[in-house]
Amino acid sequence: MNNKKHVFAEDSFFISRRKFMAIGAAFIAVMAIPVGWFASKVAKRNDYIKARSAGLYKDDAIAKLRVSHANPAVEKYYKEFGGQPLGHMSHDLLHTHFVDRTKLNS
Amino acid sequence: MTVTTYQPGEIQGLIEIQASKCKGCDACQKFCPTNAIEGASGAVHSINKEKCLSCGQCLINCPFGAIIETHSALETVIAKLADKDVKVVGIIAPAVRVAIGEEFGLGTGELVTGKLYGAMNKAGFKIFDCNFAADLTIMEEGSEFIHRLHANVKGEADAGALPQFTSCCPGWVRYLETNYPSLLPNLSTAKSPQQMAGTVAKTYGAKVYAMQPENIFTVAVMPCTSKKVEASRPEFNSAWKYNQEQGANVAEYRDVDAVLTTREMAQLLKLLEIDLAKTPEYEGDSLFSEYTGAGTIFGATGGVMEAALRTAHKVLTGDEMAKLEFEPVRGLAGVKAASVTLFDQSLSQDVTVNVAVVHDMGNNVEPILRDIMAGISPYHFIEVMNCAGGCVNGGGQPIDGNGSSWIGNI
Repeated sequence: MNNKKHVFAEDSFFISRRKFMAIGAAFIAVMAIPVGWFASKVAKRNDYIKARSAGLYKDDAIAKLRVSHANPAVEKYYKEFGGQPLGHMSHDLLHTHFVDRTKLNS
Repeated sequence: MTVTTYQPGEIQGLIEIQASKCKGCDACQKFCPTNAIEGASGAVHSINKEKCLSCGQCLINCPFGAIIETHSALETVIAKLADKDVKVVGIIAPAVRVAIGEEFGLGTGELVTGKLYGAMNKAGFKIFDCNFAADLTIMEEGSEFIHRLHANVKGEADAGALPQFTSCCPGWVRYLETNYPSLLPNLSTAKSPQQMAGTVAKTYGAKVYAMQPENIFTVAVMPCTSKKVEASRPEFNSAWKYNQEQGANVAEYRDVDAVLTTREMAQLLKLLEIDLAKTPEYEGDSLFSEYTGAGTIFGATGGVMEAALRTAHKVLTGDEMAKLEFEPVRGLAGVKAASVTLFDQSLSQDVTVNVAVVHDMGNNVEPILRDIMAGISPYHFIEVMNCAGGCVNGGGQPIDGNGSSWIGNI
């Protein structure tokens, strides 16, 4: 009886070729990052920021009303419910207090 | 002794680095405003959650897609949408409408307000545009600034601190709370638009919708991961407190029940098989979808300041600004400063207001804070936003187009 099984197994000490390639690519990527990566990333990011901001400024330009104090819904809110800016109701509902988190830290 | 910078109940450790995917490339560290990311080059990095503002800038800029959010309300929101006894109110932030289209194959920065309203309406949301709350914020924060300005000019004893900081950005607020608590009196006490929207929806909104406030479920759709932490702050249950005082007797609820990022909202629509790109435009369904141009520009750096100046000009001089576009606070310079001189009717004199706008906060804000502490700051009103470019580049915005995860899953 021959109990010895001959199954193909990768030697656990060595990594597979596929894995080697992956690690190699990651290594190259990591090495490449400091050189020029940050600048090109920021440039590309800024393109996105500009495009999205332009979308918002367009929304402003096409708006029927362009100043907050002219919003009829806001006017209605204060008239029917909220009273006036900085009033009693505003103090309770629309303002808050902050937390000194360095005290939480000690 | 527990070391924590969080209040009880707040979400901690929202942003996490997956050790199995991190290659230790240090890219995230370049975008972190507080140096919260620890670990040597080449070794797996981790986030110090006490320093972390949860802004998600590391997340959207990680080349390996190794950084994730640990909390998602997606399943809860889907369950609430299916619940017939609950009215789900979707609070849509300004910057979402110029980014979510990217997730559905539309162009970068394409304005999709009508389509987003339509898609969310189809999904079962009532539309509550956060821009309405942004207009409300201008009324409160602008009035507060004018109040402080007048009290200071008159030399009143309890005049509020100047410069006044804006308080819309939760990353910035947490930064000040954890690093410069002595400057907290300078922060406007106005809630952020997200929190105002949640509170209004469950107080005045309950009357408008003719609903019991406890049956209203508010979902904020935000370009920002830090908004999740903000919504979990224990003090943000004003609507519940108000309604209890009015005689209600129900279990405590939050002003904002859930926060979805722009990415998660896109995911939700895809799960419900709603293609935003093909959805017909929809106008909105209540007064809470009425907003102005001032409210919408909140999503870009300088927007809050521009919106505030438009209203302050009207309040102080009695006239509308001749030209509403205020160019000096637009664009991507790290610190934008401007001086505005106008005739103040109630003081009967010219008043010069110096304003500054700061974004990409980690790189730009500290010199300004030091000047204020030294008492030599020339400014009266300062807008600060954590993320470069403001909310349009928030940590909750679509990633792929932004060039992240560029190395993929190697």
